[in-house]
Amino acid sequence: MARMGMVFDLKTCIGCNACVVACKQENSLPDGVFFTKTLSEEYGVFPLANRVYIPTICNHCDDAPCEKVCPSGATYTRHDGIVMVDDAKCIGCSSCAVACPYDQRTTMDADNFLKGLFGTGEITPFEKEGYARYTPGTVTKCDFCSQRVDANLDPACVVTCPTNARIFGDLDDPHSAPSKMIRERNGRPPMPEKNTRPKVYYVN
Amino acid sequence: MAIADRVFSGDTLRVGYRFQRHWDNSMAYAFYCCEVGAGLFFVSLLLDNLAGMVLGLLLVSTGKPYFHLTHMGVPMKSWRAMLRPDRSWISRGLLGLMGMVGFGVLALLVMVFGEGNSPTELWGLKLLAGGCALVCATYQGFAMSHSSAIAIWNSAIMPLSSLLYALSSGLALAMLLLPADTAAGLAPILLLLLLGLALVQLMFLHAGWHGGPGARTSIELLLQTFYARWYLGVTVTAGIALPALLTWAAPTSILAQLLSGIGVLAGFFAWRLLIFKIGVYEPIMTMNPFAPGR
Repeated sequence: MARMGMVFDLKTCIGCNACVVACKQENSLPDGVFFTKTLSEEYGVFPLANRVYIPTICNHCDDAPCEKVCPSGATYTRHDGIVMVDDAKCIGCSSCAVACPYDQRTTMDADNFLKGLFGTGEITPFEKEGYARYTPGTVTKCDFCSQRVDANLDPACVVTCPTNARIFGDLDDPHSAPSKMIRERNGRPPMPEKNTRPKVYYVN
Repeated sequence: MAIADRVFSGDTLRVGYRFQRHWDNSMAYAFYCCEVGAGLFFVSLLLDNLAGMVLGLLLVSTGKPYFHLTHMGVPMKSWRAMLRPDRSWISRGLLGLMGMVGFGVLALLVMVFGEGNSPTELWGLKLLAGGCALVCATYQGFAMSHSSAIAIWNSAIMPLSSLLYALSSGLALAMLLLPADTAAGLAPILLLLLLGLALVQLMFLHAGWHGGPGARTSIELLLQTFYARWYLGVTVTAGIALPALLTWAAPTSILAQLLSGIGVLAGFFAWRLLIFKIGVYEPIMTMNPFAPGR
């Protein structure tokens, strides 16, 4: 059985946010909603100051706290390890958002769909088409572009990254690109102390 | 490190602490209604106080659902919240709430109209309603303590504080509904509960201060920022110290009981709001392998 996961190469990420734009486009995300963000942190003092870019995304944890607390059974894990939200079952209680240590869940408020991409209240045909997949009031998050994974494609953020800082594949396959990278470059999951067993790793 | 040195990233793309914003004030009001109502119902059930039982049931059956539904994204599907009692404290709590209201109303009906009924039936109903009331009084604390994301909530102190606050606010409210001499006899129990609350507050501060960075930040927010005046002024002084002093000094005074009741309820209300406000997500700092000292 596959166990899909992702590796972020912090050494090659240049913080261009192309992944963020690709994600918003692929998933028709309304204004203010992100499934992936590229955070930045500065350290050191001049002249030895530096900045590191840290892409973040739902970690599709093996022991997902969001799934454990969901009272309606809306959050579930697919056969390939991708953690999904069934918006037909979601009641919008936000208990999953409170349980996620990575703060990767967003409530799709009805207001999100009214403003439009340009904040004028005018909805473009592209938005109208894309917004139909969401139910206002429910909680959403990254699903590794499951529609693309089902078609044997990589997630939109991965194919868009100009520096190959995002590597996607089956973590159970020892020969897959992410597995090799984790092994060879000592990949580390985010916040391992939370014991959620993420399927997203970081290498330097 | 003081609170002024901590980085709060807010909506920016910086690495830093982020405030819990998913559960808003309406959730805090719902929690408050449920705990005060369940506590009042439980205490009144033990004392056979019909007015207290009715008021407790009203708080739990109207106030709590109202505030939950205003928070919920899809209120029409709220019934689905009871579907996973095997893993979710919200589901368990909802079933407990339904049990409390159902058995509580039946017990009330038997107490008022069931003169000829056997006392065994009434005791059975009381036992079931009381058990469900205890579930209602504690489950929200369990729901919060199961969130490993918000470090200050992720502690066994949460359900304990829920239970103690429910019982003390329920008892303080019940004392106002009872005859003065009966209420005076309950003063030592209220004093004991308030001492328990003081101990829980000390445990909370100690555990948070010596906990992880997220818990420490929450305690710093509570003691070093704008929230300090509410915590120290309302939750600690008006909510615990003053009622304890009044209950100890003038257990038979109706005015003292009234002030104690208002103080306990106000202190608990401030605590419920504050515990939501000071919840923070920790920065994803351990993933930055380049930063010095990591």
